[in-house]
Amino acid sequence: MTSATTARGLETVKLTRSFGGVTAIDSATVSFQHGKVNALIGPNGSGKTTLFNVVTGMIEPDSGRVTYRGRDITGKAPHTIARAGLGRSFQLCRVFPRMTVLDNLLVAVRARGLAEHLASSRDHEEIERARGWLERMGIDHLERSEARNLSWGQQKLLELAGVMMADPDTILLDEPAGGVNPALIERIGGLVRELNGQGKTFLIVEHNMDMVMSICDHIVVFDRGRPIAEGPPAAIRSDPRVLEAYLGV
Amino acid sequence: MLRLAALALGAGLVLSFPALAPNPYMVTVGIGILNYAVLATAWNFVGGFTGYISLGHGGLAGLGAYATGLLVTAAGLPSFAALLAGAVMVAALAVPIGFAALRVRGASFVIVSIALVLILLLVFQSWDSFTGGSRGLAVPRPFPGMPRAEHHTTFFFLFAGLLAAVLLVWWLIDRSHFGLGLKAIREDEDKSESLGIPTFAFKLVAFVVSAAFTALGGGLYALWFGDLDPVFQFSVLTGSNIVLMALLGGVRHLFGPLLGALVVGAGLEYFKLEYGDTPLHLVATGLLLGVVVMFMPDGVIPALSNLYDRLFAPATASIREVSAADLAAKGDEPTEVRR
Repeated sequence: MTSATTARGLETVKLTRSFGGVTAIDSATVSFQHGKVNALIGPNGSGKTTLFNVVTGMIEPDSGRVTYRGRDITGKAPHTIARAGLGRSFQLCRVFPRMTVLDNLLVAVRARGLAEHLASSRDHEEIERARGWLERMGIDHLERSEARNLSWGQQKLLELAGVMMADPDTILLDEPAGGVNPALIERIGGLVRELNGQGKTFLIVEHNMDMVMSICDHIVVFDRGRPIAEGPPAAIRSDPRVLEAYLGV
Repeated sequence: MLRLAALALGAGLVLSFPALAPNPYMVTVGIGILNYAVLATAWNFVGGFTGYISLGHGGLAGLGAYATGLLVTAAGLPSFAALLAGAVMVAALAVPIGFAALRVRGASFVIVSIALVLILLLVFQSWDSFTGGSRGLAVPRPFPGMPRAEHHTTFFFLFAGLLAAVLLVWWLIDRSHFGLGLKAIREDEDKSESLGIPTFAFKLVAFVVSAAFTALGGGLYALWFGDLDPVFQFSVLTGSNIVLMALLGGVRHLFGPLLGALVVGAGLEYFKLEYGDTPLHLVATGLLLGVVVMFMPDGVIPALSNLYDRLFAPATASIREVSAADLAAKGDEPTEVRR
């Protein structure tokens, strides 16, 4: 399964991971288009989130390889993979509940060397950069609130802001529209397109087909732990295998 | 400015205590409390920042005490050189200990930390040709010939100095990038990893710093008290008292463990004085731990500041109301949908 990619981004080769007797990812070879908005869709239990977790180092694969921009990142620690330029959100939105909204972003600032680690976390420039992201998400007025006091939708935006604060090249979003009202879905979709316009690659796992079809350039369809189809939204919409496996028509 | 004044006042009170104390016994009580404050604050590098609850810190203090004592008696080092060298040795030993223990989280970590104390107890009891075993280890006083009262006063100031140092380092880490990363581990370790924080290295560094200060506390105790017994040095009770103190005061606050040490340390002394050898002090500390966990899970300091807010600043609206109104004004309603 190859695709015409302009540059090498995130790729997996014969990636396999099983839990007990269940093979969550089954020798999956996928390559996502660098610089584009990619979607990963498929029925529940088709291995999408497991693929996310293996790719970001949260789970080790049984076999196979993951490469990012030509570099082998298979089985590397999650923080190493994050520092290689991959950022991710979680399926059930995860923020640091007892930290302020601003601290939730400042955590993502990368310190290097002893002096930087011991320097104050309240660096003026970084605070301004964090405020910029909060403004873009529309939650800058909540800067001093503890994250646990935010509504679900606000926490989703906060998580995205935190991921962006780490300045990744590729952003993996696990169900960004999950449990979110239509107005906010539109806003998140708009942000994704905007950031993509500024050079960020996206890989989105999402069940909301309206969102997927409207913002994605390239769609990979997963079923039983492996890709069964890929292509632009128009082609996917009419692919009989996809209709059978997922869209259920 | 107000904070600085309060800090100066607090420091003044501590430093004038030996002069104000009615008798040398009260000074020894003060030393006991300062010692506990050092240990609880040192514990808080791990427990407070990363949320890893160690019941094994009593063992690290014991290691510091024995390292100091043995470096004086067996290696012939001067007392305070032995204290520093002992702390360095314990810090070095904390690397492999932390490397093994910090791989597990939550209750498993607690159990591993208890195991550490029990293993150390066995080793130090059985290896009596080196450690003196159950007969104990006599540590020579660093100031021979000094009158007893003066000895206590001197050590009171030494402990106060050590407490100042450990508080200063905790404060520096608290406001640093490193500290923010540690607190992120406490909140959500996997999420921290995904943002690029090398969580294992961070935890290990915090553990080693914590162990070094704990060892200094134990070592200074050895030089002051002059007699070590494995049963008291490697006791899970010491570790659990430390945890109680930190939780009572509030682990998120610089002075939380210090406040807890003041309350619990004074309480323990009172029970020992009034009820002698009865286990009543254990009952009291157990009850106190229950009360803290049930009614003040964040400790006294946050509980008091919440109370203050409720009494004197009742007009603040909840965040959600404000944000909802604010967002509605902007034209997009925040969602309340929960999954």
